[in-house]
Amino acid sequence: MATSEQILVQKAQKGDPEAFEALVNEHQQYVYNLALRVVKDENEALDLAQETFVRAWTALPNFKGQSQFRTWLYRIVTNLCYNRLPNLRRSLNDLGDDVMEDIPEPHLDTPAQIFEDSETKQHLQDAIQSLDSNYQLLITLRYQNELSYEEIASTLNLPLGTVKTGIFRAKEQLRKSLAQLEESWITA
Amino acid sequence: MDNRIEQDALIEDALKSQPLAPMPRSITANVMSRIQVEKRPALVTWNDFVIALVIALTIGAVYITVQSLPPVALAKLRIQGILLYQGFIVNARWLVPALFFGLAALFASLSIPPLLKMTTNDGR
Repeated sequence: MATSEQILVQKAQKGDPEAFEALVNEHQQYVYNLALRVVKDENEALDLAQETFVRAWTALPNFKGQSQFRTWLYRIVTNLCYNRLPNLRRSLNDLGDDVMEDIPEPHLDTPAQIFEDSETKQHLQDAIQSLDSNYQLLITLRYQNELSYEEIASTLNLPLGTVKTGIFRAKEQLRKSLAQLEESWITA
Repeated sequence: MDNRIEQDALIEDALKSQPLAPMPRSITANVMSRIQVEKRPALVTWNDFVIALVIALTIGAVYITVQSLPPVALAKLRIQGILLYQGFIVNARWLVPALFFGLAALFASLSIPPLLKMTTNDGR
């Protein structure tokens, strides 16, 4: 956590609304984005984001700083998502943990060259959007909110293996979608 | 695109370049107006004060009662206590260890699953 954010959190814990307002401004887009990816409805996502910050304000005196403030916020929004989507928690638990080895991050030398084909890029973006909520949650926390696997496991209170499995399977679905695109090119 | 590495790279880049969804409107004003209305719950509530008061009064009442009892009544009470203890030892010798193990089992069932979960999460 940045020092300035630590100071803001400490001030907000003591009841300073201006410090809390700064924190809301800083984090609202990430919280909203996470909620939107999971519930897939703008109005519901706005409601959830708002509720997240109201709950954060109420619970802030209990925040001990053991985790980062942002991961603490993501935990609140995730719990609210569980309330809205009762099957979400179960579908995450059902992922299992069969992918136990470390997943290497592919090294991309020239992304601009690879993405010359805007059709491929658009196809993949659409495929990401259409992933199930459980995969959306994991993917968003990993790639947009930039949490490590360990932080995601801690935020969602899931075993690390389940997090890795979920992200691996989400990528498998994207790979299948890419293969379908290739086939459509061949048959055309 | 037969190359799996190339596919992985494409997918990884698509995931990383996914833009944040733009917010239709800022929620700051709404949040701030709600937190002005919904006050934080106090750490110590009136319930806590009342419970503490009742416990303190009970302890005080027991102490004053014991102090004000005549010595003979106190001695009789002590004898009855010893007799009760002896009665337990003779007639229900398994009661005390059973209670002890029962409490230990309850404590274990409450504390071991969360500890195991923490260990599993940290170990992987």
